[in-house]
Amino acid sequence: MTELTLGRLLRSSTTGYVFGCKIPEADAPCFGDFVKAPAQRGQTEVIGLVYDLAISDDGFVRPMATADLPEEVILDQRNNRNVPIEVSVLAVGYKNGAGFIHGLPPQPPLTLDTIRTCTDDEVRAFTERSDYLRLIAESAEAPAEELLAVAVQRAAAVRPPAERERYLRKAGRELAKLLSRDLPRLERVLSRIQPNR
Amino acid sequence: MALELHALAQAVDDLSTNAAQRLADLDRRLPAIRALLKTIGVAGEELRANIQAALRARWAGAIPTAEAVDAAYPLPPFPARVNILAADGSQIYPDRHGVALYYLINIGSIVFGHGSGEAPRTRSKPEVFFQDADLYEEDGGQIPVQQIDMKRDQRELAELAQLAEADRSVPTVALLDNGLLLYYSLQAPSREQIAEALGPYLKSLDRLKACGAAVAGVVARPRSAGVARLLHLSTLERDEIDRHAELFQSSAAFRQVTDFQLFDFLRPGERSAIFESGSPANLDHYQKAGHSIHFFYLNAGRLGKDSLLRIEVPEWVARDIAKLNLVHAAIVEQCRITDGFPYVLMRAHELAVVTVAERREFEQMVTGALVRRGLTPSVSQKAQGKAWTATGKRWYP
Repeated sequence: MTELTLGRLLRSSTTGYVFGCKIPEADAPCFGDFVKAPAQRGQTEVIGLVYDLAISDDGFVRPMATADLPEEVILDQRNNRNVPIEVSVLAVGYKNGAGFIHGLPPQPPLTLDTIRTCTDDEVRAFTERSDYLRLIAESAEAPAEELLAVAVQRAAAVRPPAERERYLRKAGRELAKLLSRDLPRLERVLSRIQPNR
Repeated sequence: MALELHALAQAVDDLSTNAAQRLADLDRRLPAIRALLKTIGVAGEELRANIQAALRARWAGAIPTAEAVDAAYPLPPFPARVNILAADGSQIYPDRHGVALYYLINIGSIVFGHGSGEAPRTRSKPEVFFQDADLYEEDGGQIPVQQIDMKRDQRELAELAQLAEADRSVPTVALLDNGLLLYYSLQAPSREQIAEALGPYLKSLDRLKACGAAVAGVVARPRSAGVARLLHLSTLERDEIDRHAELFQSSAAFRQVTDFQLFDFLRPGERSAIFESGSPANLDHYQKAGHSIHFFYLNAGRLGKDSLLRIEVPEWVARDIAKLNLVHAAIVEQCRITDGFPYVLMRAHELAVVTVAERREFEQMVTGALVRRGLTPSVSQKAQGKAWTATGKRWYP
């Protein structure tokens, strides 16, 4: 994946951020995507995983929900009106001059900072180690099991086909350590990332 | 909280009693007044002569056309492909307590290609005015807000003309969120000022006519009483009209009656007969320029929820049945989307409106620019005080 500008930051904390996005559906971020936001005046980039996409209504749209609408109205509401998709991101690490670090960033990004997708190279480099899985597993906000499975699959998908199975087995071993005290949960996640699934 | 709501409880109770009494009083009088519509039917020679006499006394009632005044016309078919344009404007008025003296006009517009399958084209055009010629009248006084409203109205219509000229390939309806009689033309102190204000406005109507578009002004919850005045006139003898006094003193029977109440017989989709505005401004200026403003009432609602709108059109739309039907059908179709008021006008308003937050951001832009020029802008102490106190009092028990 090449780098794509997704939107601008609405609110943030060290554990995550929410950004607004109004790009067409085909380019809109998906659950489990790796994204990045600048922080500390550009000295760091906060790496995160998309875990929720919410589309709010407003007083104008609500009465139209049950109407038989012309196509032009639907396109107007989707393409022209400034009603963003709100995308929630779980912070799982950051990048500074020393490289990628798995852990919470020193500072969150600021309002209206630009959010971009991580490139395949960045995702590959960030997921060389699996410490970021701990932050997902311990998240109270994100649906952890689903996000763990999708993140590992994304990380495998950016690797050459010959390396994918090896990566998935390695990630499975990390997850086994992380979730060893909750075997039903471990089983659900592992079943989602089985190499031959 | 600054407003002592409990101190107003009795007044609010009295207000509701008064409203109920007024409604009951109207309900008693309305059946007879509505019946007058039926007695007139197609206006006869005697009534027309009386109207001409009244117009000479600058009576501002509704002038019947060849249509029966109590007629109801069904919804005409709507073509598969129509461009529906709308424009609306908003403004920031000059504030002598602010950081700089200026005013701003923002025009929002939309081109809705019905049947095109494409997203409508939208735009917002802001303009800021700060030169002496913009801000001050010849006597040195600051221009009244009515002149700013007039400039905004001129720009709304000019925007519609520009959009209509850009695409003449399909039938086009251009809508304004207001009547077509420029409000300033009804209240400007002199004929010269009216003519000066109307020049660009009438030119935009010329452009719309030349490119084949049908233009209409849409008024929701209209308070006009032109047809009610016509009904009152129909009850007067000629000598009473010539004495003028009766003409301009609404009798007790017609007090507070508006046209809105007269056309409740229209079913969803139906329009009333067309009338010509007898307003002196219309006859003095618009009619002479070939744009005499006509109007009809339209029930743009649905079964169980009426929505009576007043639709104003120039004479070249009123007399062209194809254009008139296009306006009628397009407005009903648009109101179907948003349950009683045209979708495109709601969107044009949304594109035009300057929110409190946007105004604050613009003021910060102005402040920043002044500071970069070495100036030290500040709001007056009065404005500062209002900002401090606007969020309400704090109570310490």
